[in-house]
Amino acid sequence: MKNRLKVLRAERNWTQAELADALDVSRQTINAIETGKFDPSLPLAFRAARLFALRIEEIFHDPAMDNDRSNLATEIKKDTYV
Amino acid sequence: MSQLKSPEIGYCLRVRTSTIRLARWTGLWVAATALMSFGPVFLWNKAVVFTLFAVGLSVAVGAGMILANKNYLAELDELQRKVYLDALAITVGVAVIVPIPYKVLEKYAVIPFHADVEHLMMLMSLTFVVSLIYGTRRYR
Repeated sequence: MKNRLKVLRAERNWTQAELADALDVSRQTINAIETGKFDPSLPLAFRAARLFALRIEEIFHDPAMDNDRSNLATEIKKDTYV
Repeated sequence: MSQLKSPEIGYCLRVRTSTIRLARWTGLWVAATALMSFGPVFLWNKAVVFTLFAVGLSVAVGAGMILANKNYLAELDELQRKVYLDALAITVGVAVIVPIPYKVLEKYAVIPFHADVEHLMMLMSLTFVVSLIYGTRRYR
């Protein structure tokens, strides 16, 4: 799963430690999420969304879903031409 | 910096507190186990009442250590809990797999010494520490 946590944090000039404090997790966990090594649980994703005042899908997104959407669009196009 | 609001008692402080609590219980358990192991010979000349008391004390303190470990696990965040549980899973696996082959090695005199439970304890401790270090480095 990809995420914009690092970008959002940088926009607000927050350190990993400050973000970790605000989300009540360790700094290592923030680092692992930012580098894509660890996917957060749903409650933690909700906490992050609440903190940044964004929807979850504006912070986290699954590249596989992009492929699904693209495949669906291709299918729809095919159906339209047929 | 604005907007950021930390919980009243921070994560690091909570984990530090529960780590210290777990370390204290572990120290007590080691002391109670040492008393149980060496007391009958060196302190009370194998008197049954004292031995029973030492065994009871070791089991009671061991129960306290288990609870402290459980509380420690509950305080960890989700990544650290995953690393800890992964290490525990590997350790339990080793504890299940190793004893029988080890006993067979002793039975057929492949190893020149007794297959003692202490060896298993040492292997489990080593496995847990190595697994924990590996897990921590993996997510660094």
